[in-house]
Amino acid sequence: MTEETLTIENKTGIHARPASIFVQTASKFKSKVQIKAKGKTVDAKSILMIMSMGLVKGTEITICADGPDEADAVAALKELVESKFGEE
Amino acid sequence: MAEKITGKGVIHGIATGKIMLAGQNLDGYLVNYKPLDATTEKEKAQKAIETVAENLQKNIETFQGKEEMAAQAAIMEAHRMMVQDPALGEAIVSMVEEVGSAPHAVLKAAEAQAKVFEQMEDEYFAARAVDLRDVGKRIAKCILGVKEPEIGEGKVILCGHEIEPSVIAGLPTDKIAGVILGAGSTTAHAVIIAKARALPTIVGVGDAISQIADGDDVIIDGEQGDILIRPTETDRASYNEKIKQQEELKAHYATLKDLPTVTTDGIRVELMANIGSHMDVDNAKSYGCEGVGLFRSEFVFMGREDIPNEEEQFKAYKEAVEKCEGNLCVIRTMDIGGDKPLPYLNIPPEENPFLGYRAVRISLKRKDLFLPQLKAILRAGVYGKAAIMVPMVINVAEFKKVKEYIEEAKMELAHEGKKYSDNVQVGIMVETPAAAVMTPVLAKYVDFFSIGTNDLVQYTLAVDRGNSSIAYLYNHFNPAVLTLIQRTITSARENGIWAGMCGEMASDPYAAVLLLGMGISELSMSAPSIPRVKEKIRSISSIKAKEILADVMKMEDGDEVKAYLHKVL
Repeated sequence: MTEETLTIENKTGIHARPASIFVQTASKFKSKVQIKAKGKTVDAKSILMIMSMGLVKGTEITICADGPDEADAVAALKELVESKFGEE
Repeated sequence: MAEKITGKGVIHGIATGKIMLAGQNLDGYLVNYKPLDATTEKEKAQKAIETVAENLQKNIETFQGKEEMAAQAAIMEAHRMMVQDPALGEAIVSMVEEVGSAPHAVLKAAEAQAKVFEQMEDEYFAARAVDLRDVGKRIAKCILGVKEPEIGEGKVILCGHEIEPSVIAGLPTDKIAGVILGAGSTTAHAVIIAKARALPTIVGVGDAISQIADGDDVIIDGEQGDILIRPTETDRASYNEKIKQQEELKAHYATLKDLPTVTTDGIRVELMANIGSHMDVDNAKSYGCEGVGLFRSEFVFMGREDIPNEEEQFKAYKEAVEKCEGNLCVIRTMDIGGDKPLPYLNIPPEENPFLGYRAVRISLKRKDLFLPQLKAILRAGVYGKAAIMVPMVINVAEFKKVKEYIEEAKMELAHEGKKYSDNVQVGIMVETPAAAVMTPVLAKYVDFFSIGTNDLVQYTLAVDRGNSSIAYLYNHFNPAVLTLIQRTITSARENGIWAGMCGEMASDPYAAVLLLGMGISELSMSAPSIPRVKEKIRSISSIKAKEILADVMKMEDGDEVKAYLHKVL
């Protein structure tokens, strides 16, 4: 199990577009990937789950992955969040 | 007499056809469905998910490369992701365990997720509930073997409380005559698609929609919001008469198309079109417009889920500017606020959005939105004659700030080695009483004024134009409004800049006479109004218009002005 705690920095938060990029990235890995935030844990490969969490700017999230490529998965998603999904 | 029900007409035009109920009811199929064992039901659901995802993918591919279909393609793509969502898949599987039937399980799982979205405060998410139910229905239909509604020879009028966007998007344009929605939202995806296809549309019919049955003959009037169910021969005759009159008037107006807009004593007024998309320019030209006086750039921002970038905006503006063929194309910067929030703007709900965080007030705070828009317009200017119009300005400071941003945009463009025009005029929309009063000062800084009467009347008279119980107070001939308009036009003339108008008032031929008397240079309106305004201007002299204006400005009441104009003109 690998995990990493981050803060959402992009202005619009994880809205539709960032959520779909996030899901597409998470889906590339075999490991089970989850997001923990606001006391809930959801499947990071589900756009519905991620969108219904309402992750706005400033929310602290923990990305955890469990499986053969867990380290790569967490690293890739961390980079995505830190790059603000290419937004401001 | 046929039954008549009335909603809110949002896309004009008269249409006739047979009703096709689009919010298709699956109850009949569900009752007769005989589920097998749980394992088989799960497999059926899984198979249906794959089939639906494949079909959506095929649909998306046919849209590729077609710019006008981009909004539809984006919606379909979102649906595809939802169909294949693992959380939805799991919910379906556990629901099959519970209810035993695959189609029931799919609908229940989608409904549960839709409810979650519906309860979110954000209007954007609430609207996604419709998409989810649409997705659930598609999968259920696939399991039940229900075919998508088949269309016969004639045109249909789609009707449903909420119509799934996929239904409209999936039908060929030449088979749909119009759209009726029970729900009231003018920002529904279905309405956005209908608008792009110019389909007469009525929304907000409410429960009365249950009076309309599948296959009913109807006539809809997208201007009045009237729906005639099972019209009698008499009704048909009267509507045919209306349609005929419309056509005759159209034919008469067509003869005016290429004639110049001049008074009998040779004073020219430019008649331009208000548009929402570059795709509207060709249609506007068919009515004889001489350029675009208002390009509502909101359209570029609406119906999507992220900020349109500089390139995307540049393409839309460039196309409009090019299509104006050397005539002016006035692009209004984003005029959006809490009344029509965009998901990616994150504007919190406001008690009073018309007096709130909107239009230039957002632009000045959101450089990430404003700079790409300014850069896109400056670049489009290379392909013709573009102008930037700033909405909701109330003071000089705001305009100065806009000019600073424009300088910054130019510097960035120069730095990036992109071509841009240095001759893009920059003006303001005069739509607040504050701006109108301050026009003698503002005129020193701007290149033009364009009077936006819809808001100017609303703000000056403190009358919400959407409120039917005070609608009688909303009158653009109110002396307070006329005084502000005259002040604006006079300020422009004294400072050697031009003044135009781009609100509803500009399409009123009686108002056009007064504006002509005040010395207006340009009138911009929805294109179908151009011929009747042109006809009026060509019938009068500027001297006569000035005389009428002088009489009107002595009057004490808006209704008196209206009555007088109808008498003398």
